Parts: sequence; C-alpha cells; structure tokens
Amino acid sequence: MDVRGAPSDAEVVALVLAGDTEAFGFVIRRYEAGLLRFATRMLGSRDAAADAVAESFVRAYRHLASCREPARLRTWLYRIVTNRCKSHLVRRSVADVSLDDAPPVADPADTEAALERADQLLLVKRALAELSPDKREAFVLKHVEGLSYEEMAAVTGERIPTLKMRVHRAREALLKVLEDHA
Amino acid sequence: MTVIDPRIHQVLDGELAPEAVPAELRRTVAQLAAAADLLAALPPGATASLESRVMAAIRRPAPSRARRVLRWLVTPHAIILRVRPAWSVAFAAVVAALTLFTAGPEGPELAEHEGIAQFVGRFPEAQSVHAVGTFNDWRSGSIALEDQDHDGVWRATVVLPTGTYEYMFVVDGERWVPDHLAERLVADDFGRENSIVIVRPAGR
Repeated sequence: MDVRGAPSDAEVVALVLAGDTEAFGFVIRRYEAGLLRFATRMLGSRDAAADAVAESFVRAYRHLASCREPARLRTWLYRIVTNRCKSHLVRRSVADVSLDDAPPVADPADTEAALERADQLLLVKRALAELSPDKREAFVLKHVEGLSYEEMAAVTGERIPTLKMRVHRAREALLKVLEDHA
Repeated sequence: MTVIDPRIHQVLDGELAPEAVPAELRRTVAQLAAAADLLAALPPGATASLESRVMAAIRRPAPSRARRVLRWLVTPHAIILRVRPAWSVAFAAVVAALTLFTAGPEGPELAEHEGIAQFVGRFPEAQSVHAVGTFNDWRSGSIALEDQDHDGVWRATVVLPTGTYEYMFVVDGERWVPDHLAERLVADDFGRENSIVIVRPAGR
C-alpha cells in the first residue's frame, strides 16, 4: 500500500490472482493513459491504439499468473502493448500511418500560439511516422513515456547500446525535419 | 541525416548537465525536448477510458456447464479399449466389419476445414495438464490432457479447424510451459516462447 492508500502493483496482482477480478480495474486506471499515448504515437491512430491497448489488457489479465515480477507490472504491460503495436504495423505499411489526431480546422477563436503549436505537432508527428518502427518505438519510450534505458531493454528485449543508437538516430531525423521547416 | 553533437545526446540521456554545454547546444536540446512534450500531450478526448470495455471482456462468463457438455458431445474423442489377446482377433473383425458397413468412403466424419491435433507432454509430477492457445483464446480448462496409465505422459487428441495455432501447456493450473516437441516455437508477447501446431485437413 503506498502513502495515499492505493494498493501497489504487487498487491493488485495478488488480489486479481486470488479471484478478485474487479481489482484489475486498478491496473487499467493506473496505466491506460500512458499505454494509450504510447500506442497512439506508435500507430498514428487513436482507434487502432485503443484496440491494441484493450487487447493487451485482456491478454495481461488472462496471463497475469505468468507475470514473474508483479512489482514491475508497468514494464510488463508496455512489453505486451509494444508487441501488439508491432503486430499491427506488420499488417500495415508505414505509409498508412494516419494522422487522425491532427489538429482540427482552424477556429477563429484559436490563438495564434495555439495554431502554431498545432502546426508544430503535425510536423513532429510526420517526422515520427517516417521513422522505422524500431526507432519510433525507442524515441517514444524514451522521450514521451520517460522510460530509462534499463526499462526500455526490459520492454523491448533489446540491448541498451542498440536502444541508445536508435534513440540517437531518431533525434537526428527529428531535428532535421524541424530545422528544414524552421 | 543531421549529425548531432554527441554532447546533446549526453544531456538528453542524463549523462551531462545542461549547464556543461554551450548555449547553442542547449537550444537544440530544448528544441528536441519541446518536440517530445508536444507528443506527450494527447488532445482532449484521446484518452477515453477503456476500463468498461476491458472489464466487460474479462467478466464475460465462461461457457455454461450445459454448453460445455454439448461441446464435449459434439467433439470427437479418442477411445482406448483394452482387449484380451484371445478376443482381439474376433474384436478386430467386428470393428473392421462395423467400419466397412457404417463409415462412408470418405472415412471419419470430419468437415473439410477440420483436422486432428494431438498434444503430448511428459509431466511426471503433474496433477493436471491443459493445452491452451489461440484455438481456445488462451483459456485454460477446455482441452484437458489425460495420463490414463499414470506413466507421466499426458495426451489429448482433439478436432480443430485447420490452421496454425500457438499454444502452451498449463501444468497444475499455474505453470505455463511450451511444448518443446512442437513443430516449431515462436517468441510470444511476454518474451518467452509459444509452441506452434499446424492442423491440416484430415486425410491429407
């Protein structure tokens, strides 16, 4: 139990495995925002991301007994979602990555700063979509989800030097796009 | 590709303090950090909760007892008969006659898209063994292996729609192990290996 009274991941896992199905709601509420954000950035589509994350949660529930380190549940969930996203991307070419959370048509009430921010976001997302899935995954895990390289290694199964190289290449590609449009 | 000064990577990787690099490099660091911040902020409505959807899938009840019985009745099962040698010749003749007169020229009653899958695993200490996989949505319980002669070798023969399936054995309801004798193994979503079974149309 943490200081705010919420059960720890290990406690939630124990509850679910003891038969308290409803306790899995803690897991969903605790991690869905981050997982949805990660999947959205990987797939470029909110709907596809929601499907991938929902499927991942159901799989996680059914295989919860095989989670060897309940205290590291977050990393385990990212691993499942990462693999769901990869499976999704295999069935789809990178060119199909949509930008369906692109900013809406300009509203006169929008401030200039908000429009500029929306343009910038579109630019960054296009740059992200042009990266290979491996580099995109590494960049998003590192800079959007804030995982350490050790956690990224646990999520992806890759070695840390490989992940660092992917993040560095992704930064370089992103910076080039930003500079070209400056 | 824009080559970035290595110190920028070091700052972004937390290996170097931002103050340790010149101002122009700090601007590039800030530019990349701002891009990441933009990606981290999803627009409103992008994170509608999945809780009700996921919990509904989880709470979906397992098939009723009647449904399980019905499924068992319509699923072919292997039946093993032990016969004294003295009777075996006569028994074989009867079985052959019954087969010839009751079975059509097409053989067993399997649909065109169905085939037979055999699961065999050696678990000498096990109390129960089940096969779970993509054929039963990874739900334990529906395919139970049996060790009728208590030699530690568990078996099940089932009819499945033709196709390629991933599976594992669940031993004593809690230990998930791949079948290393499977046709092949593939990495699963959890960093381990699943076994692969290919169910081919019967008779081919």
